[in-house]
Formats: sequence, C-alpha cells, structure tokens
Amino acid sequence: MRFFDGHLTVLIGLIITLMTAGAIVSDGNYLSLFNLQSMAGQVPEIGLLAIGVLLAMCVGNGGIELSGIALANLSGVVAATIAVSFFSASQDPEIFSLIFIVVALATGFLGGLLNGLLIAYLKITAILCTLGTQMLFIGLAVAISDGRSVRVGAPGPLYEIGNGLLFEIPISFLLFIGVACIIGFVLRYTPFGMWLMLNGSNPKAAEYAGFPKNKVIISTYTVSGILSSLAGIIIAARTINVKWDYGTSYLLVAILIAVMAGVKPEGGYGRVICVVLSAITLQMMSSMLNFMGLSNFIRDFAWGALLLGFLAIGRFRLLDLINLQKHAISASVRSPHAQK
Amino acid sequence: MKIANLMKTTAFALAAMSVLGFAAPSSAQDTKSITTVVKISGIPWFDRMETGVTKFAEQNPEMDIRQVGPATADSAQQLQIVNDLVATGVDALAVVPMDPDILEGILGRAMDRGTIVVTHEADNQTNTHADIEAFDNSDYGAALNERLAQCMGEKGKWTTFVGSLGSRTHMQWVGAGEENAKKYPGMELVDPNNESFDDANGTYEKAKEILRKHPDIKGFQTSAGNDVLGVGRAIEEAGLAGKVCLVGTGLPNPSTAYLESGAITAIGFWDPQKAGMAMNAVAKLMLEGKEVTDGMDLGVEGYESVTVTPGAGKGLLIVGNGMVLVDKETYKDYLF
Repeated sequence: MRFFDGHLTVLIGLIITLMTAGAIVSDGNYLSLFNLQSMAGQVPEIGLLAIGVLLAMCVGNGGIELSGIALANLSGVVAATIAVSFFSASQDPEIFSLIFIVVALATGFLGGLLNGLLIAYLKITAILCTLGTQMLFIGLAVAISDGRSVRVGAPGPLYEIGNGLLFEIPISFLLFIGVACIIGFVLRYTPFGMWLMLNGSNPKAAEYAGFPKNKVIISTYTVSGILSSLAGIIIAARTINVKWDYGTSYLLVAILIAVMAGVKPEGGYGRVICVVLSAITLQMMSSMLNFMGLSNFIRDFAWGALLLGFLAIGRFRLLDLINLQKHAISASVRSPHAQK
Repeated sequence: MKIANLMKTTAFALAAMSVLGFAAPSSAQDTKSITTVVKISGIPWFDRMETGVTKFAEQNPEMDIRQVGPATADSAQQLQIVNDLVATGVDALAVVPMDPDILEGILGRAMDRGTIVVTHEADNQTNTHADIEAFDNSDYGAALNERLAQCMGEKGKWTTFVGSLGSRTHMQWVGAGEENAKKYPGMELVDPNNESFDDANGTYEKAKEILRKHPDIKGFQTSAGNDVLGVGRAIEEAGLAGKVCLVGTGLPNPSTAYLESGAITAIGFWDPQKAGMAMNAVAKLMLEGKEVTDGMDLGVEGYESVTVTPGAGKGLLIVGNGMVLVDKETYKDYLF
C-alpha cells in the first residue's frame, strides 16, 4: 500500500507507456536488446548525480547539489592525470584502473566533504555554496587539464565498467542499481537515514532533539560527492576521455530527475527508487524522440511538460483525488515544514 | 488496491499509445539511411548545413537522409544522440563532433556494428571511415591572420577567440594565425584563446572586457560562427568600428550590418551547405562500397578535386578547396 505512492505509480505507468510507444514507432527496434543495453548504459551517469541531488534536498536547509557534474568531471580529470602520469594503461590495465578509481573516489570524497563543511560550519546556503564549489571544481579541472580532454584510453577493467555486459546487462547499470539499493537501504533502515530525513523535515526540532546535525549534513554531502565521482568514473570509462565541460546540461537535468521523482525540495522526503525510475523514464523518452527523429527542442519541451505534470501531482495530489485511500503517505508527507 | 492502480496505469498506457502510435514511420529494410549529427541545432551555421542535407536528400530520393543535433551545446547531449542513432541501426552517420575525443568510444562501437562513420571538422578522429575538411586548416588560419595583419598595418596588440579549447579546428586556425603573425615583429598577441562557446552574447561580454583591459588593442581573430557578431557588436558600441580590425569565421547574412559599418573587417568561411552535401556524398559512396580516391570529384562545389590522405586512425582524411574570404566589397556574392 505505502509502496505505491503517486509518483511511483505514474513513473511505472510512464515507463510501460514509453516501452509500448517506442516499440510501435520503431517497429520493435526500440525494444531490441542492443537499444535496451544502449539506454541502460546511458542512465547511470545522470542517475548517480540525481541521487546526489536527492540526498542534498532531503537533508533540508534548502539543500541542493549544483556541483555534481563539475565534481564528476574533476574526479575524472584528476584521476586520469595521475593515473596516466604514473602507469601505462596498455601495460598494467588492472593497476591503472584501480588507481584511477581510487583517485577519482578520493577526489569525490574531498569535494563532497568540502561542500559539507562549508554548509554545516560556515552556514552557507547550499545553493550558494555548491554554486561556488562548482566553479572551483570547474576551474581546478581546467587548470589541471589545461582545458583539453585527458585521454584515459581503454584499460581492461575500467573499460568494462563503462561498456561491459554482465548477463547481457551493462555493468555500469548494475553498479548504478547496486549503489541505489545501498543508499535506499541506508535512508530507510538506519539511524543515519532517519536523522537525515528528520533533519530535512524540521531542522529546528532536530537540533533540539539533539541530532548530530552537522555530522549528518557533512556525511550527506560527502556521500553525494562520492556519487558524483562514481558518475565521473563511468563517464571516463564510456567515453575513453575526460573533459572538464562534459555534460554541462546535466546540472539541471539531475535536478529535474529528482523533482520528477517527488523529492521535496524543502527537504525531508524523497525515495531512491523513484529517482531511479525517473532517470530511466527521462532516458527512455529522449531515446524514443531520437528514434522518431524529432528535434531535440521537442525533447526539452517534453521534459518541461513532464516536470510541470509531476509538480502538479505533488502539489495537488492528483492521484489522491482518484483514490482517496492514501492517508498513510499523506501523513508522512505533511510533516511540519522548517521555518528558516 | 495495487491491482486497481495497475489497471489504471495500463489504461493510461494504452491511451497514450493510441495517441503516439500513429506517428510510426514505416521504414523499409532496403532503403539506406544517412543521418547527419551536428554540434547544435537551430544556429545559422547548421541551419545552412541542413539546406545541403535536404538538397542531397532531394537528389537521392531512394535514401532516408536527415539531420539532427542537440538543443544545447553539450558534448554529452550529442553523445546521447549518437548512441541512440547507433541503436536505431542507421546505415551511415555523418557527424560534426562537438568534441571528437568524447565521441571516440561510441563511434568505435558504431563501426564495429557495421555503421559507416563520416566526420567533419575533426581531422584527429581515429574512429571514423573518413573525415572531411573544407580546406587545409593551417592555410585557412594563416589566411585569416594575413588579412588581419594587412588591416592592422602589421603591428599592434591582437587576440584570438575559439569556440572552446577542445575545438580542434579552432585551435589549429588560431595556432596557424599565431605562426603567421611571427612574420611581423610589431604584432603582439595578448590574452589568446578566449573561449566563446559560439555564443554571441557571451563573446560580446568577453570582447568588452578585453577592450577595457587593452584599450590599445588593434585586432581580433575569431573562430566560431557567432564570434564575429559578438566581437563586432562590442567594437561598434565602443565606437571603434574601422579602427579595430576583426577577421574571423562567420556567415555573410548575419554579419551584413557589421561588415557595412566596418566593425568586421573580413569574414572567412566555408559553405556548410556544401560540407553537409560532401559528407553525405562520401557516406553514400562508402555505403555503395566504392572507394574515395585522391583527386576525385564528389559532385559538390568546392569538392571537385579532393585531396585524400590517411587520417588519424584507419580512415581517410579528405580535404576540399572550399575556403572563402570576403569583406565589405565582396560579401554580396555569397549571401546566405
């Protein structure tokens, strides 16, 4: 009962619709194994960034993560620069990949930690803080790479992460689902998850209740940073090269995905499964429009329309009008809002 | 409850299907398809290219030929489009890469899948069957700079604009320009390689900054199609039209006003319409299993006798002779 809230139902409905519609417009080609793999391979990078946005939004205090894609690119650039200068991708692909991944994750960790510290201790509003760190990360990446793309090459294990298949499913997609499951589990079943959500619902009450508020905020942004660097690793693995200006449009798309998934921008509520489905929905929709050969401006239009539709679902609880038995959800959503 | 929900979902799905269903194009298996993917759609340069692609489609009614491109200038968006096109099983791709390096992976996979890949403005692309350049990039950059030097009286401060630092052709042009300027000891390059992102407004702001920082600047050499408009506007508003020289890549129609006022000294270009046709012509030849040879006539103006050399990868590098450099007196011959 609680599992199927409004957003989840609509998202599942949309995915089924898109699959059917896509199959019809492409004579079944849309549902071919190759295309399903191709679409699944495209979801993880943006999906991971969107989960980062979800975490930042949920923790409240006007939380948002604008530095995600910049940090992802920075992680890739730093990792590529270090790995390339010490190891040869063709001679020791394993060590190269390992070093690349470790350095990238460390960069993501540090970047996220920086965001967390600034927001928790200096009390900078998240939107300003992450906007600032975004520019910092971009600047660093440009400086390190001299503005050019850094060639990672195709070292075995790393290439597999971006392009390999396991049981006919792209490894990057499995990784994404795995990470989503872990984050979903942590949010739902651990004290940290509860602190995070309650802090977002009502920061004042959280503070009086003696939550380790700063620690929660710092950990949240750090995890978000690590997710960004994971996205960076997948980008590097897929495109063989890393560049500081890759995916500049992802910044807003990640937020779009989070909002479409019903994450409350004011904090305290958001479901990872919805973010995953929402990312898949957007991917399926843009792929379908590409299959139909429609202009990409139509895609932007369709995304905008979807976003407004989902905001309406959240705002007016449209599904509740159809189905009046959703009190359980409504109650948890209507938790008191923070007065900043 | 769940069942009711699912039923509603299904009903919704069916309704949406019936709406979208009739849009289905019927693609016969024997029609060969060529899709041109540009850096960004809706800007004059690639609109002009689209006229060429359309013209080629009219000449080859038996083929399925069209042009697509991302709505925003982002290599990730272009990558997605190429990804999806490869998945649709298109027979040939004619790509103008936003960032050749980013597309290497997917173009390699496309070639493995048997897709013909032709690129343009990316002579370092390794995963392509053929890269087509309208002219030799060094010659072009040097020609632009020579015109600039001539206007500047071979001395004074000058600077350069590129679309982005990753845009290889732009870097080659300004690089060749810098080489050419070394002939003139009086010319001093300041703050080179400003990134414009092909955005006239952003370029305008940047050019204003440069005019403030270097009040004695004498020349601009620009690269992306919209740069001359941005820099030209900044020069004109500063009342420096005719005093500061501006030579760069641009299209005649949008530049008319600035060419007339003297804010733009001269523009250089190649006709994207012809480039689009040449890419499609090469893709068609390759789909038919024919070879492209040195000195061949592609049947497109400016590509009557192409130079064919081995490219950066296993593919070919095909260079035409389509350079055009016009000023106030001569632009009227090329209005598009």
